[in-house]
Amino acid sequence: MSSPLNQPQSSPAEASQSQRRGPAVPIWLIVFLFLLLYWGALYFDANGGWFSPKIYAPYRDVEELTALQPGGGGNEFFELGKAVYNRPTCSACHQASGQGSPGQFPPLAGSEWVLEEQPGRIIRLVLYGMHGPVTVKGQQYNSSMVPWNVLSDEEVAAVITYVRQNKEWGNNASAVTPDQVKAIREKVGNRTQPFTADELMKIATNE
Amino acid sequence: MNYGPLIFLAAFIGLSASWFGFVLTPQIQLGRAQQATNTVNTAQLYPIARPGLAQEGLEVYKANGCFYCHSQQVGQTGTQVNFILTEIGTNPVAVAEGLLTAKVGLTNANAAGLSAGLPKTILRNVPIGDAKKAAKVTRDNGASGTVEVVAVGPDIARGWGIRRSVAADYLYDSTVMLGSQRVGPDLANVGARLPDANWHYRHLYVPRSVVKDSAMPAYSYLFKTRKIEGRPSPDALQLDEGFAPENGYEIVPTDEAKALVAYLLSLNSSTPLFEAPVTVATAPAAPAQTNSPAQ
Repeated sequence: MSSPLNQPQSSPAEASQSQRRGPAVPIWLIVFLFLLLYWGALYFDANGGWFSPKIYAPYRDVEELTALQPGGGGNEFFELGKAVYNRPTCSACHQASGQGSPGQFPPLAGSEWVLEEQPGRIIRLVLYGMHGPVTVKGQQYNSSMVPWNVLSDEEVAAVITYVRQNKEWGNNASAVTPDQVKAIREKVGNRTQPFTADELMKIATNE
Repeated sequence: MNYGPLIFLAAFIGLSASWFGFVLTPQIQLGRAQQATNTVNTAQLYPIARPGLAQEGLEVYKANGCFYCHSQQVGQTGTQVNFILTEIGTNPVAVAEGLLTAKVGLTNANAAGLSAGLPKTILRNVPIGDAKKAAKVTRDNGASGTVEVVAVGPDIARGWGIRRSVAADYLYDSTVMLGSQRVGPDLANVGARLPDANWHYRHLYVPRSVVKDSAMPAYSYLFKTRKIEGRPSPDALQLDEGFAPENGYEIVPTDEAKALVAYLLSLNSSTPLFEAPVTVATAPAAPAQTNSPAQ
């Protein structure tokens, strides 16, 4: 009997050793405990929200919550316009309230330039800027506005829609679509000079 | 009996694990919660502290054991996303075709009668991605629509709230009156649901004078019956026949009743928050005409 693997288990010394170690843990119990641990991990992943204070049942994670944000009455386009307006692009001069600053920058709230039935002039004005004297709501202004043709068609359409339809400012004119902005961009072409009020007045509003 | 230290250690580990789980973790998560502007629509602050009288009313609520029968926690089992078409624009055919090609769950049968009876919900219980896609398609075709997110669940169906309760709702409560029994209805939004103070006075004085089969005890000791001297008090309860006091007497609320009613009216947790997003019903769409200056 030289091979250790084939040793009989009846050696008295070994018998007493195995008794001291106690009974072996049954294999099914180990498997069961691992399954329990696995289930616990799945449960935590599904319901724990990774300890975020913003996650409550029945929501699972921040991504799901973010997707479900209704975003201001559900009108995404208007919200995009609001975001663009307050970036601050427009709000830097015309103020978040749309009131402008007296003597310097004309108001957008109730402005006849903003509320024109067709948006042809206002789109040009936003895309290519404006300088020189202009009369808004009976007041004379003489300053210049920078061109915003770096904004995308959708952003320009959204911000003009936000300004034209801002109920808080008392504005209620038709919306502007990205297609209208695109058409005017193509029509005007590669213009670098800002418009003047007289030039804009010569353009029919629906062009 | 050599197991003393072992039992002690096991108990210690057990208790400290619970302490970590039930006390320390929530404290780390929510302990520094503050008033914030995480409301859905506007940069509105939420929550707003109660007015002083309502704060006193919380003590009356506590003292009279209202929490034994009323909970203040609204549950929610899920969220449903709908898409409402508000305006069809000038080209209804393009809108219908756009929605059908986008495969957002609109059936041919529904697409046919799209322009009738607006605003109407044309997509019900769809994934949020589909509803947003539908919003984009309708916008690109000159129409407009709203993505509506609503909470669902038994509590919401009973009209007890428009969203689930979250930690922010209880920020200013020094004892949080969560309650565990619902012998009576949940009160988390009672100020939004029943905004009439006179209703609450009559209900507290004799619940059955306003709710026919109410099981609520009468809290008539929060009121005083007194003889009318000179002119009747403006605070006197306007009770129906059979509940009113005899002629020449009036029933007026005590300061406790006034504080309690102020507290009940302040219970309103229906502001949509980031953690519980819902669309609140907006005012009906503005009329189609514009205020452009006449040409």
